[in-house]
Amino acid sequence: MSPIRSLAGLGRPSLLGALVFSLFAIAAFIAASRTGRRDLSQAGKRALYATFGFTALATISLVTALLAHDFSLSYVTSYTSRSLSVPYTISSLWGGMEGSLLFWTTLLTGFSALAIAKAPARNSRLVGAAGAVLMGIAAFFLFMVAFPGNPFAEVAGDVPVDGNGLNPLLQSPGMVIHPPLLYTGFVGFSIPFAFAIGALFTKRLDDSWFTATRQWTLFAWTALSIGIVLGGAWAYTELGWGGYWAWDPVENASFMPWLTATAFLHSVVIQEKRRMLKVWNVTLIVLTYGLAVFGTFLTRSGLLSSIHTFSEGPIGKYFLPFLALLLVGGLGMVAYRLDALRSENRLDSLISRESAFIANNVLFVAAAFTVLWGTIYPIVAEVSSGIRLSVGPPFFNTIFAPIGLAIIGLTGIGPLISWRRMSKGAFWRMVRVPLGAGGLTVLALGLGGLSSPGALLSFALCAFTSTAIIGEFVRGSRVYRRRDSVGPLTALNRTIARNRRRYGGYIVHLGVLLIVIGFAGNAFKVERRADMAPGDTLDVGSYTLTYEGVRTATTSEKDIFEATLAVSRGDDGVGTMRPQRNLHLAQGQWQSEVAIRTNPIEDLYVVVTGFDTDRSAVIRTFVNPLTWWIWAGAAVMLAGMLVVMSGRAPVTVTAAKRAPAKREPAVAR
Amino acid sequence: MRRLTLMALVFVTLATPATAQSPEDLANDISHKVMSPFCPGVTLHDCPSQSALDMRDRIEGYARAGMDEAAIMERLETEYGDAIRAEPSSDGVGIIAWVLPALAALAGGALAFMLVRHWTARRPRQLADGRDEPARVETSPAERQRLDAELGRLRGES
Repeated sequence: MSPIRSLAGLGRPSLLGALVFSLFAIAAFIAASRTGRRDLSQAGKRALYATFGFTALATISLVTALLAHDFSLSYVTSYTSRSLSVPYTISSLWGGMEGSLLFWTTLLTGFSALAIAKAPARNSRLVGAAGAVLMGIAAFFLFMVAFPGNPFAEVAGDVPVDGNGLNPLLQSPGMVIHPPLLYTGFVGFSIPFAFAIGALFTKRLDDSWFTATRQWTLFAWTALSIGIVLGGAWAYTELGWGGYWAWDPVENASFMPWLTATAFLHSVVIQEKRRMLKVWNVTLIVLTYGLAVFGTFLTRSGLLSSIHTFSEGPIGKYFLPFLALLLVGGLGMVAYRLDALRSENRLDSLISRESAFIANNVLFVAAAFTVLWGTIYPIVAEVSSGIRLSVGPPFFNTIFAPIGLAIIGLTGIGPLISWRRMSKGAFWRMVRVPLGAGGLTVLALGLGGLSSPGALLSFALCAFTSTAIIGEFVRGSRVYRRRDSVGPLTALNRTIARNRRRYGGYIVHLGVLLIVIGFAGNAFKVERRADMAPGDTLDVGSYTLTYEGVRTATTSEKDIFEATLAVSRGDDGVGTMRPQRNLHLAQGQWQSEVAIRTNPIEDLYVVVTGFDTDRSAVIRTFVNPLTWWIWAGAAVMLAGMLVVMSGRAPVTVTAAKRAPAKREPAVAR
Repeated sequence: MRRLTLMALVFVTLATPATAQSPEDLANDISHKVMSPFCPGVTLHDCPSQSALDMRDRIEGYARAGMDEAAIMERLETEYGDAIRAEPSSDGVGIIAWVLPALAALAGGALAFMLVRHWTARRPRQLADGRDEPARVETSPAERQRLDAELGRLRGES
C-alpha cells in the first residue's frame, strides 16, 4: 500500500483552470502591448502566474497518481507497475505522450512566468507582446493535454490490479535526466522566440529582444546540448549495438533545433557588434523554435512509424496547423518588418570575422536542412509517389561529414581573423602556426600507420583549430603575465575573467573538438560476434575474452542471466566483465545490460545477446577507440557554457550612446 | 610550409584502406547499409532485437555461400522491398534526396557570397543629413605593409 494518496481528481479541473487563465492572460497582454498600460500588463502577469500554478498542480496530481499506483488512470496503467522503483515511477511522467506533453506545458508556463517576471517594466509593450505569444503557445498545449492528450483519462471497465510497467529500455539513470534536459532545451527556446515575435509586433527591433532573452537562449542551448549527449550515452550503455548515434528520426528531431540555435548564437554576435544580420537572426530563432516544436511533434505524433498512423493519432491533426501557424506567422512577420530590420552597417572586407561567421551560419543551416530533409524525405516520397524508401545513416554520414569538417575548420579560422578587415599578410601570419600543427598531425599519424583519409582529415582539422584556439589563450595570457608579472595560471584566469563570453566560447569549441576526436575514433572500430561455450575464447582487437559461464538470479522485477568473461591482453589479465541478459517480468521483455571497460584510448564493450540451454552464450563485442573523449568533450562544453553564462554582455559604444534608456542592465548579461 | 602541406595532401590522397573481407566483416558492412525490418528508423547493425541478429546470421550465410555485396543487397531488396536500403538510390525518386541538400547548400553559399560581396562593395555611405560620406583614402601596398609590420610588432610586445 503506497503511503501517497492519489490527487488525480484535481488534475483535469486544474488543466481547465490553467486554460482559462492562459486565455485571459493573452487578452490582457495584447491590450497591454497595444496601450502600454502597466495595470493591464500586471493583470496579464498575474494570469500567467495562475496558469503556471494550475499547470504545476495538474503535474503534481499526475505524479501522486503515479506514486500511489492509481490504476484507475489509463496513463498510470500503461507506464508503471507496482514493482517499479520510485525514481522510474516519477520518470514515467515523461515516459508516454500525454505525460510528456503535460511536462512540456509545465516547463513552458514556469519558464514564461520567470522570463516575464524578470523582464524590465519599462519595456511593457514588448513584454506584453511576448507574454501574449507565450500564453498563446501555452493555451495550445493546455488544450492538447486537457482534451486529445488528457493524461487523466480513466481506464475503460474494471480497474486493473497492476500496470504494464515502464519499458525496460527507459529504466536507466540516463533516461531519468535525458528527456527533461531535451524538453528544457526545446521549451527554453520559447522565450527568445516569443520576444522576437513581440519585437516584430511592436516594431521594437533594436537589441531589446535578444538582450532580454540572452541568458534563456544560452540556457536552452546548454540544456539541449547536454540532453543530446546524454541521449547518446544512454544509447551507448543501454541499446547494446556499440554506438551512440544512429541518425534515427528521434535523434534528428533534437539535433535540428540545436544546429539552427548554434547558428543563432554565432550570428547574434554580429548584430551586437555591427548591427547587422537582423533579418537573419529573427529568422533563425523562428526556425529554431519551429524545429523544436516539429521535433516534439515528430516524436509524439506517430508520423515516423507510418504516414497512416499519423492521421489516426490523437494529436497529429492539431500539431501540424499549430506548427504551420508558428512558422508562417513568424516568417510572415519577418517579411512584414523587412524595412525596419535593415542592417545599419556594411561589411568592410571579405577577410573579416563577420565573413567567417556568415560562412559558419550557412554551413549550420545547410546541416540543419540536410537533417530535416533526410528525416522527412521518406514521408515526402511516399506521399508524392507512393514509393517507400529509407534514408538512414549512410546518407547522413555522406552529406554531413564534409559540412561538419568545414565547420571545424571555420571554428579555427574565426578567432584568427579580426573584425571588419584584415590584410592577407596579417591573416597568413596568424594562420601559419595552426596550419603547421595540422600538417604535422597528418604527417605523424600517417607515418604511424593511420590510413583512413577521413580520420586523418578530422585529426588534422582538430589540431589546426585547437592550436588556433590555444593560441588565443596564450596571446591573451601573455598580456597579463607581462603587465602584472603573474604566473601563467593567474594570467590565464584573468584572461578568461576579462571576457568570459569570448573565452568561454573558446572552451566550448575545445569541447567540440574533443567530441570530434571521439567521432573520428569510430573509423577504427572493431566488432566480433561468436557463440561461446564455457572455456571458449574470442579475440577482439588486442583483447582475448574467455567465457567462464553464466550466473542466474531473480528479483521482483526481473530474471537475471549474467555471463562472466575473463579479459586478457597478451599474457596479462585485464579483469572480468559481466554483461547481462535479463527478462523483465512485468513486460515479458528481454533486455541486455552492457559491460564496458573504458579509458581514453579505447572502450572494450561486451554485450550478451542470448543464452542456450547448454549454458553457451552469444557474445557481441566491440573495441571502440577514443569514445571516452566524447563524454570528456561534453563536460568541457558544459564548463565553457557555464563560463559564457557567467559573463556580461558587451555594451557597444554606439548602442550605449544612441539609446542608453533602452538597455536593460539587470538582464543584459 | 608549402612542402609540409603537399606531403600532408599526398598522405590523405594515398591513404586508402584495401583489405579482403571475411564473411563476418562483409555481413557487418552490409548490416550498416540496410534498415532493420524489426526496429523502425534503425539500421540492421544498430537494431538489438533477436530477429535482427538472426537476419545478420542469414546475411553472413549468403556471404559464406560466395555471394558478393551487390548480390546480397539485391536478394534483400527482393525479399523486403526498396526500403531495405539505408540510403536512397542514385536514380528515380531517390536522387532527389541526394540532390536537394547539395543544391540548397550551393544556393545558400552563393547567396551568402553575393550578400557579402554586395556589403563589401565600395560605394559612398549616406550620412544622417543625406550627404554622401567622404570617400576613404586608399592605403598604398607599402603603407599596408608598414601597418602590418607595426601591428605585428605591437602584438609581439603585448
